[in-house]
Amino acid sequence: MSGVKLDSIVKAYGALQVVHGIDLNVNEKEFVVLVGPSGCGKSTTLRMIAGLEEISDGQLTIDGRVMNRVAPKDRDVAMVFQNYALYPHLNVADNIAFGLRIRKESAKTIDASIEEVGNILGLTEYMDRRPADLSGGQRQRVAMGRAIVRRPKVFLFDEPLSNLDAKLRTQMRAEIKRLHKRLGATSIYVTHDQVEAMTLADRIVVMNDGRIEQIGTPMELFLNPANAFVAGFLGAPPMNQITATIADGGNGPVAEFPGGSLALAPLPDLQNAVGKSVIVGIRPEYAQTVTEPGPGSVSCDLDLVETLGSEALLHMSLGNKPFVIRTETLGNIARLNSVNGFTADPELIKVFDADTGLALSGQTRAA
Amino acid sequence: MTAVDNKTSSAPVKYSAQQRTRAERIKDHMRNEWRIYAMLLPTVVWLVVFLYKPMYGLQIAFKDYSIFRGVAASPWIGLEHFENLIGFDWSALGTADPFWTNGNQQFLRALRNTIYISMYSLLIGFPVPILLALMFNEVLNQSFKRTAQTIVYLPHFISSVIIAGIVITTFSPSVGIVNTILTWLGFEPIYFLTRPEWFRPIFIGTTIWQEAGFQSIVYLAAIAGVSPTLYESAVVDGASRWQMMWKITIPSILPTIIIMLIIRIGNMLEVSFEMIIVLYQPATYETADVVNTFIYRQGLQSGQYDFAAAAGLFNAIVAFVLVMSANAISKRYSRTSLW
Repeated sequence: MSGVKLDSIVKAYGALQVVHGIDLNVNEKEFVVLVGPSGCGKSTTLRMIAGLEEISDGQLTIDGRVMNRVAPKDRDVAMVFQNYALYPHLNVADNIAFGLRIRKESAKTIDASIEEVGNILGLTEYMDRRPADLSGGQRQRVAMGRAIVRRPKVFLFDEPLSNLDAKLRTQMRAEIKRLHKRLGATSIYVTHDQVEAMTLADRIVVMNDGRIEQIGTPMELFLNPANAFVAGFLGAPPMNQITATIADGGNGPVAEFPGGSLALAPLPDLQNAVGKSVIVGIRPEYAQTVTEPGPGSVSCDLDLVETLGSEALLHMSLGNKPFVIRTETLGNIARLNSVNGFTADPELIKVFDADTGLALSGQTRAA
Repeated sequence: MTAVDNKTSSAPVKYSAQQRTRAERIKDHMRNEWRIYAMLLPTVVWLVVFLYKPMYGLQIAFKDYSIFRGVAASPWIGLEHFENLIGFDWSALGTADPFWTNGNQQFLRALRNTIYISMYSLLIGFPVPILLALMFNEVLNQSFKRTAQTIVYLPHFISSVIIAGIVITTFSPSVGIVNTILTWLGFEPIYFLTRPEWFRPIFIGTTIWQEAGFQSIVYLAAIAGVSPTLYESAVVDGASRWQMMWKITIPSILPTIIIMLIIRIGNMLEVSFEMIIVLYQPATYETADVVNTFIYRQGLQSGQYDFAAAAGLFNAIVAFVLVMSANAISKRYSRTSLW
């Protein structure tokens, strides 16, 4: 089993602790994405797995073997770096073969491996070129070629697509996904881009401030975020988070806003929180537009309509707080100008404790 | 319509940047960026006053110069000084007379010594700063690294005359440490600085000691510019420090090494004049006298300014050819060049 296990892993630089005892199990052949804002410790965690950073405390296991004191070359991992880490003086073939030559593989094995990798990544016609003569996408493919040529147990990706433009990033994202399906290797991928995380991952690990906020499949995290941070981090545009008070609506709890109230799912946590100030989270795509607000909806003012073609983003003001609704245009933008409120399905409304940020609404819909 | 109107209407109208002449574009650029040009001015003035204006005096290399007649009034004598220097008789070309004569033996000796000292300095002295930089790069103890760097940089900041004084004292037959050690070991003291065969090793060793540390800064800067991820990637691939040095560091700083080599070749004939003038003596002229010291003796001590100017010009032309050739070769084979 070439899984990776992090057990209370800590990273400290002197008195400054940047990773605070994280626990994570990456299963064999699984594609796990570490995602979080800049400085949250995701790259440091990846570098500790690679052996490029010393582990201050805790235990790292790869394939059942404790790796804390094992040299990077003996961990049987390969890493793809953000800036490609290609040797500028070597051509594509020599860059791909570098690791094999270091390990003194036979010339026959090296030639066969280069050819195989070249075919997999579509690099055969660029083998004689140097990195400077390649496009960003081609360089990234060479960097991946360097990683896969050794057939390691674990692939580590450190924001490999962040230097590419948006179009190329989408294309390379699909290539990485395809490559993972083909090779079936255990992969740990670091990114700050939640779209990459959602599209690539079997499981996502959301990190913040050196801690894991939540681990789960992309849809689990999207539908049932454990706290306000995860809710705000995943999704574009992010989840609207508005302060409200929970009241007893007769048939169940309701959230009261300055411009109206919304019915909430009749969950014990919410029924017990009547009278409490909470944060209500509604995803822009789950808010439904209203032109004549009444009971069960909230009135607000329309500030701006951003047209995206088939969809539009309505930027509203609820009190002094911004609130975004994502809605279909249905070919008629003018009708959106009359929107002056919203409502939402109680099961899709998330409620978080105003003090701790933890979800109060539990799992309202299965992922 | 008035005359002024006529003139205005017939003047060519320039619509785009493409239609403006190069001179007009430069003029506009200078007007817009006058502050940058103002900052450039002191350097331009320095170059004109100290490097270009003295070139006017170069013509005395082709004249029978007399300080009483001045540069302009001295009569032209063509290549006579050069013929005397290298012993080549242009007028004998195409005739039955021999066109190679003996030339000025002192100059030819100085030229030979300059080439020998330069070649040895290049072969031995050029790799030393590179090795030093590679060694410093491998040192992990930062305080040791800083101390060692300071120690090797220090000699550069000491005047060549003082360095020469240290060398004289070190190799002194009576109080010098080298001869003291030799005496302890039972050898006879050696008069190093009066023996021609010892001059070149001592001089080349001293210049390497004086300059290698400081020259290593360029290579250290080049090494610092190598992306750390190249090393990290190599570490994950399993490369040792030795392999990383050979396969990453050296190839990565190769363009810098080539540029430094071209510059070094350009300055090859500029052997440290001050140190030689202090260290050499008639007993060691055989191996120590170089073109610059020859020019000094001929020009300033013997008053043969025209002859010395010809020797200096000859030196400069050889250096120019060398640097052009090195640049062309480098451009062709390594895609790296100064221009």
